[in-house]
Amino acid sequence: MKNAMKGRRRPWLAAALVAGATTAMTLGGCSSLAGQVGVKPWQRELLSRQDMQLDADPLDAAIDEHMYFSKEASSGGRGFGGGGCGCN
Amino acid sequence: MSLREPGLWAAQFSAMGGPCEALFHGVSEGEARRLGTMAAAEAWRIERKYSRYRDDSVIGTIHRNRGRDMILDEETARLVEFARECHALSDGRFDISCGVLRHAWHFDGSSRLPDPQQVAALLPRVGFDKLRWNAPRLMLPEGMEIDLGGLGKEYAVDRACEQLATECRCPILVNFGGDLRAHGTPPRGAWQVGIERPGQEESVALLLDLARGALATSGDARRFLLKDGVRYGHILDPRTGWPVVGAPRSVTVAASSCVEAGVLATLALLHGPGAEAFLGAQGARHWVLH
Amino acid sequence: MQLKADHGAIRRQLMLASCSLLGVATARAQQAGDAAAPVDTSEQTFESAISYYHEDGRITAIEPMVSLHSDDGNGTQHTLSAVFDSLSGSSPNGALPSSKPQTFATPSGSSLNSTAQTYTTASGQSTTSVAPTYVVDAGQLPVDPKYQDMRVALSALAQQPLRAFDRWRFGGTLSWEHDFLSLAGNAGYSRDFNEKNTTLSAGLNEEYDLLKPIGGAPVPGSDYSLFQKQGNKNKNGVGLQLGVTQVMTRRWLAEFNVTADRFSGYLNDPYKIVSILDAQGNTTGYVTEKRPGERLRRSAYLENRVAFDRTTVTVAGRYMNDDWGVHSSTLEANLRWWNPDHDRYLQPSVRWYRQSAADFYTPWILASTGNYSTLETADARLGAFHAATFGLKYAIKISRTGSLPGQEPSEFNVRLQVYRQDADQKRANPTALQDIELYPALRAVMLQVGYRFAY
Repeated sequence: MKNAMKGRRRPWLAAALVAGATTAMTLGGCSSLAGQVGVKPWQRELLSRQDMQLDADPLDAAIDEHMYFSKEASSGGRGFGGGGCGCN
Repeated sequence: MSLREPGLWAAQFSAMGGPCEALFHGVSEGEARRLGTMAAAEAWRIERKYSRYRDDSVIGTIHRNRGRDMILDEETARLVEFARECHALSDGRFDISCGVLRHAWHFDGSSRLPDPQQVAALLPRVGFDKLRWNAPRLMLPEGMEIDLGGLGKEYAVDRACEQLATECRCPILVNFGGDLRAHGTPPRGAWQVGIERPGQEESVALLLDLARGALATSGDARRFLLKDGVRYGHILDPRTGWPVVGAPRSVTVAASSCVEAGVLATLALLHGPGAEAFLGAQGARHWVLH
Repeated sequence: MQLKADHGAIRRQLMLASCSLLGVATARAQQAGDAAAPVDTSEQTFESAISYYHEDGRITAIEPMVSLHSDDGNGTQHTLSAVFDSLSGSSPNGALPSSKPQTFATPSGSSLNSTAQTYTTASGQSTTSVAPTYVVDAGQLPVDPKYQDMRVALSALAQQPLRAFDRWRFGGTLSWEHDFLSLAGNAGYSRDFNEKNTTLSAGLNEEYDLLKPIGGAPVPGSDYSLFQKQGNKNKNGVGLQLGVTQVMTRRWLAEFNVTADRFSGYLNDPYKIVSILDAQGNTTGYVTEKRPGERLRRSAYLENRVAFDRTTVTVAGRYMNDDWGVHSSTLEANLRWWNPDHDRYLQPSVRWYRQSAADFYTPWILASTGNYSTLETADARLGAFHAATFGLKYAIKISRTGSLPGQEPSEFNVRLQVYRQDADQKRANPTALQDIELYPALRAVMLQVGYRFAY
């Protein structure tokens, strides 16, 4: 059982490669490809909607985070860390 | 078409070289689409009619008939008469005949200034007073050009807004690339408009509440020459053939019509460092960004 | 309406000229002056919520929270939040049900006798106390019946723009419980590229936790009945996060980030034990759990938000793994669906979660293995399981009369979520525990009511 789980390290590598590729693509986009990915400033009307903000509902997120933190072994991954509670 | 906020529809299209939109409050999507189409149609009509690049435009026809007397249609006649009045009240700073100077000036951000002799050679071909204008008769001398581009966008905003106002009693905001006019106020009391920081799109330097009236912005953030630390904006003084030095990067003026605001903004830039003083003396509400 | 007298001559001529150009319609609109005014875009928001959580007839928690946020309109923001948490009920202590009744000491207890006992801590001090105990019936999952905890947490966050294209932020959190204290600080930096279509950010956070378990923290991996204690313990954590936010299309925004954190110190749960069973499955004793002194965790997170006319869809996924052998995948999605007047919305949501067990997770230890001071934990939170959450949120936007133009309307919302967790990789029941459910599913319900307004 232990060996089977250690062999699963590859998904982590895949995730890191995706991260690297995405970052390279977007940074590349901002130089010679003249920002092919993205929109012009006057096209941001939908993106500026309140429910399109990444931090749209902070209290919901905080309540959920607390609930899952006390029941599961993973936590965070979204925004920057805060303090802990004694429940894990 | 998109829904900006509850009850606010925005029709978007491209015209006059940039993004345009017309906003309507309190109408259905179908009605907003109909009105938006009307606004776009008016913008394209004016763009086609006065385009410098089309042979079939009124400007193209005028240029083909240099040296001959022409009778202009009513709309063009009113525009040329307006240009004449602006030329007079600005002591010659506002001049629709200074287009020929583009043969000497290329505002590509480099430091290549033209040869002063080259500019001097073009000056005899510049000057509204050299046209024979007796509304509606116009005679454009050989070698001269006229260009209504400096007025076109603001005029289109005013025309579109007035046309829409007769079609609908709802609050309307017409915005062609930053030159805009409001008719009626939305429920929250005012339209909220943002002015970009010169040279940086998407950065809002200033946010204004516009209850009614028009705003026009004139600026030279993108087209300029830079030599020995001196910045030469693309707005040329037709009396000398040279750009104004020391003007603010961007001037926004509020007035009751977009053409009025646009002319005031252009005149302000032509006063160079005295832009703000000029606008203050005229009692015009203005915002200047350096 | 009269033209204002303070207009210059040039302007008056210009106004008349415009009038002739545009016709009579403009003459009627000759009201220059205060038609346009700079607007105050600063905004302060007050947001509050109270949530009620109930688990399986076991734990009940009530959590009111309040948050104040201010934005000066130029990129400077401050947030102040406070949370009060009240938990009560019964919490599993990690031991297995048995075919016979079991007696445990409550956390403040130090012996399984109910007579006064003297015990010595690692520092050499002697104290005497009466040991409260509780008895668990045969076949029942051992839970501490009078589990009670209260927590207060305060946090503050500030964000400031540096230049037009970058900003930094820093914040801190303080959390108090009667047996736990946590202090954390964080700092971050973000920078925009590509006409603000791309934003790169980096963040660092540091946490210091002090554990003051009632009766002292047990020596990990020791015989439970000996009640060997160590007094207060602490742990430290440091984390790094790197992220990129990218506008994909007019409607689609994506965020991707990677996080790594490392905790070290006393990482055990001071109240949890592991049952020792003989070959038939009868409990012969208990050992206090023992986790490693260090935990290194890595995770990757991807979130996508897509805007439609009356709907916004959010889909997010996270993969985590650590050096305890736990790896997990999370997938969540929600859909915010507005009514045509855009003053109400319904938001169904769903979350799937799966995690593998820690290397040293063991629901019980066989007596035959002899040495019990290796790493072990029977805490279900470190076991293998899958879980699902279904939620529904309903909100109403209320425009307040007298509110300033441009302000967000107030919102009143209510949200209900149900959560269910089922164990995976279950070991076969030992003979003596044949008919007992050793891996009960965990079911919880959460109801939350919230209110937010701008002022």
